[in-house]
Amino acid sequence: MNQAALKNLLYRLADDQLILGHRNSEWNGLGPILEEDIAFSSMAQDKLGHSLQLYLLLNQLGEAEPDTVAFTRNAPQFHCCQLVELPIGEYDFSLIRHFLYDHAELLRFEALGQSSYEPLAQVARKLKGELKYHVLHANTWVKRLGSSTEEAIARLQQSLDYTLPYALGLFEKTEQEEAIIAEGIFIGEDALKARWEESIRAILSQTALQMPDLQILTPVYGGRTGEHTEFLQPLLDEMAEVFRLDPTADW
Amino acid sequence: MLHSLDPRINRLGLPDAPPPPPDKALLDQFETYEVFHQKKEGTAYVYVGPVHAPSADVAFLFAKEQYSRRFPCTGMWVVPTASIQLTGYVGDTESVYDTLPDDRGEVPATAPSEEAQDAAAYAAGEEDYDIFHLKKRGKAHTHVGKVRAATPGQALQIAKAVFGEQRPVVNVWVVRSADVLHSEEEDKDMWATNPEKKYREAMAYRVQDRIERFKQEQQPNAPQA
Amino acid sequence: MYGGGNTFEAPVKADGLENEDPILLAEFEARIARGEKIEPSDWMPALYRKQLIRMIEQHAHSEIIGSLPEGTWITRAPGFRRKMAQMAKVQDEVGHAQLLYSAAETLGKTREQMLSDLINGKSKYSNVFNYPTPTWADSNVISWLIDAGAIVNQLANAKGSYGPYCRALDRICAEEAFHLKYGHDAVTHMATGTPTQRRMMQEALNRWWPAIMTFFGPADKMSTHTEILMRWKVKMATNDDCRQQFLDMYVPKIWELGLTLPDPNLHKNEETGQWEFTEPDWEDFKRVINGDGPCNKERLAVRRAAEENGAWVRRALLSPQAKYVKPLA
Repeated sequence: MNQAALKNLLYRLADDQLILGHRNSEWNGLGPILEEDIAFSSMAQDKLGHSLQLYLLLNQLGEAEPDTVAFTRNAPQFHCCQLVELPIGEYDFSLIRHFLYDHAELLRFEALGQSSYEPLAQVARKLKGELKYHVLHANTWVKRLGSSTEEAIARLQQSLDYTLPYALGLFEKTEQEEAIIAEGIFIGEDALKARWEESIRAILSQTALQMPDLQILTPVYGGRTGEHTEFLQPLLDEMAEVFRLDPTADW
Repeated sequence: MLHSLDPRINRLGLPDAPPPPPDKALLDQFETYEVFHQKKEGTAYVYVGPVHAPSADVAFLFAKEQYSRRFPCTGMWVVPTASIQLTGYVGDTESVYDTLPDDRGEVPATAPSEEAQDAAAYAAGEEDYDIFHLKKRGKAHTHVGKVRAATPGQALQIAKAVFGEQRPVVNVWVVRSADVLHSEEEDKDMWATNPEKKYREAMAYRVQDRIERFKQEQQPNAPQA
Repeated sequence: MYGGGNTFEAPVKADGLENEDPILLAEFEARIARGEKIEPSDWMPALYRKQLIRMIEQHAHSEIIGSLPEGTWITRAPGFRRKMAQMAKVQDEVGHAQLLYSAAETLGKTREQMLSDLINGKSKYSNVFNYPTPTWADSNVISWLIDAGAIVNQLANAKGSYGPYCRALDRICAEEAFHLKYGHDAVTHMATGTPTQRRMMQEALNRWWPAIMTFFGPADKMSTHTEILMRWKVKMATNDDCRQQFLDMYVPKIWELGLTLPDPNLHKNEETGQWEFTEPDWEDFKRVINGDGPCNKERLAVRRAAEENGAWVRRALLSPQAKYVKPLA
């Protein structure tokens, strides 16, 4: 198996999950209603758990320990898309990001369940139930809020318009794309994007929200090759503030 | 601006001294739904508590994380609180059925076939009701079964005939089955990884060895093990 | 996460009992004496209802506000294990608030009223959460020792007489078992770790010890009021009993980690079996609980902001057909 291609994919997956899980954990204790606060935190924990499992796969392939990988790299070494780095904003943005991201995540892991790299396929299959809940959560909220008050619809629409170009960055291809597909590790970003578009469109069409024409949007690329927003490095510094006090310590 | 030790709070950009907010309007926190869970395949559904939610589907999303994130679960039911009819409570050794007037809804001694019953019942405008018993004050209501009736009152009478032998029964809840939102059979996998989330279980944290080792190191003259 | 320090307010007067129906009151007391729980639709004296609402509500507020000092470190917890556990723990505190508000609601006060009273500063919550967590080690001290204190109190209250509160506490205690172990694990790693970690932990402990000693509240004045609440199994143990039990269980565990406590008088009197200590500064406690602590303003401001920022979401989702019914149990 092409190790470079495999690692490239795993880093993208793991970094996305880590950074979004971290971001979403910022809502804990600050959510719009107690029950939602709890649900949103669970999903953030799940994302952290997913990233850990993926970093462990990387560890088996010779990369450093998950803690080292997650807590000591700087922004240019991260492969996450820029979507996940953005600050949490208001709830409409966090919800729309959750909706756009988790649809892609569910479909991605569904496809990875067939990966030729069996350890990854196993992880992907195991997460299916968790991701199902995440998408059910996102869909329910988007459908409810997206056909409620003018205020809510306007907020969601604005967030959707703002977020979609970043969401397209989820499907940025790397130089390993061909190898990844050729080796049967993953179906590839174009195929995923097509499924994703259909999947979010099916939900949005049940709401008062308008899905912009994706063809005319300029995707925000760069994250997969280490180009990030101004928000990532401060996020990493904050995340590792304690860890870096004494990198030799066992916390 | 308020300065906090919490970077998340600083990002909220809160004013230093915000004016006191107006009191919340009634229903700002929505209605409540009562939640029942099934801990293990094949066991009865048991009451776990309420959630506040704007609708049954959202109530399910909330209930799932509030009541089943930390414990094994194979299924969940959610019922609007307003849809539950309940009896009064009696003492821990009694049966609340004994306090019901014993007039209607006798169960025929020889039951016709189930299909025939079904057909007749639905034709007569009857429907299913779920019955829950509380066996002891302070414990949780448990599902005992379904009955078919035209009204909740009649359902309670029939429940008395069907489940009245059980004792004690401190309190009974009667719920029109159509008002119960059930988790889907094929969605059971949503709980599949619960047991693997060890980081939120006490069992995952064992430090006694570390403490013993530390104590040894603190006593340089201690005999080597 | 809640101690006995709650009742530091003008106590509810025990009078008014003569206005209660003597037969119903006798039945009510007999039921409690038999060891049966009281359920929401049972007859209960007004004083019982009032005192329970206040107690459960303050407990709920303590959970939701208590999520903030540890939440301060949620984005900075070092390493995956701590990061995920810190998230789960803060989440649990919010979950406990949800359970407790629901239990209080069965007594007739809506969650809306309780939250309004919290953010308007009309209700109290556990005073320890008015102190800051300047380092990761401070958060660990809360996870271990404040939760340990809360568990002492909650295990006692779980044997109380009000059914919905007991049900909530059973679940809470089961979840807190993780908090306690997680907290102990984190403190142990710090205390037995590098010199930096050790120093951080000792300093955090020094900062928090005075607050911990006030966690259970001042010694109870044994009034008729207290006596009635104990007979009705609303108050299950005196503040001093809880404090003694806590010291007995945890001081040795702190000492075995080579940590010290900033009270030269702290020791167990082997003759009486009681712990002796320097009396906490109750005047300072009063000052802080009445609003003049290092974090009171921030805690309320954050809670207000959370409520306010989420208002549009709740407005949008509220169905016009919605009708309030209090939860059943």
